[in-house]
Amino acid sequence: MTVTVTSPPRRAPWLRTLRYDAGLRALAGLGLVLYAVFIVLPLFMSLHSSLTNANPLYASSKFVGLANYRQMLHDDALHSAVIYTLELAFGVTIVANVIGFAFAVLLNRTNLSYRVLRTLAFLPQVISGVITGFVWETILTENGVLNTLLLHLHVIGQPIDWLGDPHLAQLSVGIVTAWVLSGFTTVVYLAALQSIPQELYDAASIDGAGPSRRLRSITVPMTAPATTICVTICMITVMKLYDIITVLTGGGPAFATQSAAQYIVQVAFTSDEFGYASAIAIALLAISAALALSVTHVLRRREVNL
Amino acid sequence: MSKRLFTVVATATVTAAALLSGCSSSASAGGKTTLTYMTFETPDLTAAFWKSSIAAAQATVPGISIKQVVAPSTDRDTYAKQLEASGQFPDLLESITPSLYTSANLLTAYPQSWINANFLLPQGNAIKGKVYIPPTNSQIIPMVFYNKADFAKAGITSTPATWAEFEADCAQLKAAGLTPIELGGKDSFAAAMPLTGAISANVLGKNPQWLQQRYAGSVHFADSDVVSAAQEMRTLVTNNDFEQGALNVSYADSITNFNDGKAAMYPMGSWYLGSVPKNEWNNIGVFLWPSDDGSQVVPFSVGGSMAVSSKAPDQSDAFKFAEAWSLNPSNLKTLIEGDGAFPMLKNKSLADFDVTVSPVYTDSYSYVSGTNNKVSSIGWATNDDSMPGSMNNDFYAAAQALFNTNDVQGQMAKLDQDWTSATQGQ
Repeated sequence: MTVTVTSPPRRAPWLRTLRYDAGLRALAGLGLVLYAVFIVLPLFMSLHSSLTNANPLYASSKFVGLANYRQMLHDDALHSAVIYTLELAFGVTIVANVIGFAFAVLLNRTNLSYRVLRTLAFLPQVISGVITGFVWETILTENGVLNTLLLHLHVIGQPIDWLGDPHLAQLSVGIVTAWVLSGFTTVVYLAALQSIPQELYDAASIDGAGPSRRLRSITVPMTAPATTICVTICMITVMKLYDIITVLTGGGPAFATQSAAQYIVQVAFTSDEFGYASAIAIALLAISAALALSVTHVLRRREVNL
Repeated sequence: MSKRLFTVVATATVTAAALLSGCSSSASAGGKTTLTYMTFETPDLTAAFWKSSIAAAQATVPGISIKQVVAPSTDRDTYAKQLEASGQFPDLLESITPSLYTSANLLTAYPQSWINANFLLPQGNAIKGKVYIPPTNSQIIPMVFYNKADFAKAGITSTPATWAEFEADCAQLKAAGLTPIELGGKDSFAAAMPLTGAISANVLGKNPQWLQQRYAGSVHFADSDVVSAAQEMRTLVTNNDFEQGALNVSYADSITNFNDGKAAMYPMGSWYLGSVPKNEWNNIGVFLWPSDDGSQVVPFSVGGSMAVSSKAPDQSDAFKFAEAWSLNPSNLKTLIEGDGAFPMLKNKSLADFDVTVSPVYTDSYSYVSGTNNKVSSIGWATNDDSMPGSMNNDFYAAAQALFNTNDVQGQMAKLDQDWTSATQGQ
């Protein structure tokens, strides 16, 4: 018996390339449209709104020029919210990166228990901000887990006002946010650590480098790109922080933990100054962009120098 | 841009636009009027309550279909504004603050004849003479609830009428090893109860027009009478009359703490009456926030049911539904038993609502039905005395700030600045 095998007709290579290109273009086009509809368009709408006296209750608005931007200069509540947000961004970024790096170094092993620990370390990043806020509220409130534990261990004589004292409340928000972001930084640093060739460490060991020297001369320089990513993302995340604070402290006590994002929502939907809120949002975007660009610029130079 | 890419982009744009336009308001379909109705849920006003109350109103007004929109939190006003900003303002809005919307002509007033015919205080929540939410119920904000056993243990035989007596009772309670006052200060509205009480009793009690005069600019928060009233709250802080770490205690926890007997007194809105446990019905008493001179002042707020949007497609049907819902005694039964609401329907006694209420509810209700000095509860009024813009939040936050500063005058002056900001452009 003779079996005749017929191979499928072969398409010309140029046709395949064309179709492949068309597919890519379609995907990219869709991405562009989504980006335009959900990012660029709202940004321009916000920019336009920031130049008006828009109010959520009125359909029409008047052009007011830069009046909303000038108003920002004299708004003490805004200044407090922005300063707190910047302090939070600075502090949380440092803490989350130090913890993330330390965790990554500790968890940079391959056996099963370390893989489980890695998953646990990433958990805070997976949980939604609202749930994180509720969980930590249960921990930090007057009769919460932390006070109960410390009282039982006789570490403290009376409950601590973790969320009631303005300074402690600010600190508590910082700790919770750092806890969340350390999950993210741990994973990024771990990925960076695992890409470092073992041969480098072996060669350094042969040359007599101890653990500390290997850390300074190999690990830190080789994870510099990860540092750039982590620092930038942490800063941007904190600059727009809303959900955790809203659930944990509601911005209180007496607005002590009010973030810039919370202030924007308050101005827009409680004070009904939608135009002014848009101006603050644009200013916050500019501050965040400037911060991110500066940090990236500095850290990229550091990557080259290391 | 190539033709193919243009086609892809155009298709995606049209799709996105179609998706976005999916959020539309009410309409008439198949001869039925569809109305959107914004509600909110609490432990007492459950999803089942809304479902049955809507069905009951629909049964009396056939031909109306209701599309319920549940606010994500109890802050109905913020959500309503967000809906308005996105072109989805509901046709019916439950328990909102009408003064926030009337200047934008977003609400339609109820027919005054219907209001006059059915309610005890027809002008109780009127704004410039017009009623936008039926005045179905009222609250006293705050009242001071107290633990009778604790008072007896401290040797206190009668409730305080003056500020001096109140301070003396706090000292006596502390001497007996008891915490005088429970406060859920983590939630700013709860933290502000003593401040609301003191200013309502000592400032509005003497000058019920105070808030109108504040609008006119003839009185200020930084005036000596308001500062003196606010100083009373600061005194309670410095005397350690509140429970330890009061700003760390949530509103929900404060109810639990007081019901568990962890403090002797609890300044709260009369809605707490719905949370008094049955086994404490005879142990919880109530008195009004004491004034300096001992005169009795009732900080009062007339609430109500739903407002009707001026954009509702069929105003007549919207009012028919709203009126049917508002006059249904079984809806008020839930509010009375679960939320401590005081009914304000004409020609109806408590028995008509088939309710079972505690003795402390009956005592509280006597302040509503009695002839006394009722004034707007500052920060809670729904009528012309409601404060502008974000002033309620600022007022509540000032109370929290008084926990951490001796500068009472400065905090009150800040409220004047906030008032100026809130009224700019109005």
